[in-house]
Amino acid sequence: MMKEYNMSPYFFYLFAAILIFASLSVVLARNPLYNVLSLVVAIFSLSCLFVLLEAFFVGMVLLLVYAGAVLVFFLFVVMCLNLNTVTLTSAQQSRFRWLGTIVGLMFASSFGLAIKSFIRAQTMEPSSIRGTIEVIGKILFTDYLLPFELTSLLLLIAIFGIVSLAQGALSTGKDVENA
Amino acid sequence: MISLGSYLILSGIVFSIGLVGVMTSRNVLKVLLSLELLLAASNLSFVAFSKFNGDYAGQLIVFFVILVAAAEVAIGLAIIVVMYRRLSTIQADELRTMKW
Repeated sequence: MMKEYNMSPYFFYLFAAILIFASLSVVLARNPLYNVLSLVVAIFSLSCLFVLLEAFFVGMVLLLVYAGAVLVFFLFVVMCLNLNTVTLTSAQQSRFRWLGTIVGLMFASSFGLAIKSFIRAQTMEPSSIRGTIEVIGKILFTDYLLPFELTSLLLLIAIFGIVSLAQGALSTGKDVENA
Repeated sequence: MISLGSYLILSGIVFSIGLVGVMTSRNVLKVLLSLELLLAASNLSFVAFSKFNGDYAGQLIVFFVILVAAAEVAIGLAIIVVMYRRLSTIQADELRTMKW
């Protein structure tokens, strides 16, 4: 058990570096296609970090749902909108650019201070829990059954919302054609 | 072994990057992508706390967050597509009808 942990610090630093660079690229890249693709990389490295924390089920769900479904959806929308670089680069920069950066840095520093005091207050050792499908599934279908069922209701409402939005868009499109 | 603090610091860095992205970008699609970064960072700290506390509840919360985020992204992208059809732009500054 301890032998396989010996490699884990290097993998942590590797995936942490990939995660940070990919998330920087999400924010800083000008082309929306690159933003989406670097978010795929970020989610992939986050999933690897989950596996290092032995949360296997959540890591796989993240990979399947996010990198598999949600980000492909993003890519479809980017292609569908056909955003060329001319319309994007001609847009002027936000007035809040420097203000937002300063607020972000302030948040990061306060977060760092909070974590510093937290680490001083207590030293935690990693437990031996392993988030396998069997364990998570058992808890999900016993203790967390009501939230799990309510999630299906949420997804149903989301489907209603999307369909009504799409119908509204279609009808306005017809109006534009008629006019 | 990596300590809990390292995971929390990584989560804080990613959260700050996402926060800057949400506040500074005018592109609505980019705002939505940065929101995903925020959710990812909080998911990481949930899983780290779950591992170091020995409680599965953190991983279950991450599972629910992923499900809710999927619904949120679907609705958000539908709104973006409708906005592009009506205004033929996805710049947030063009949404001026509710401005006082």
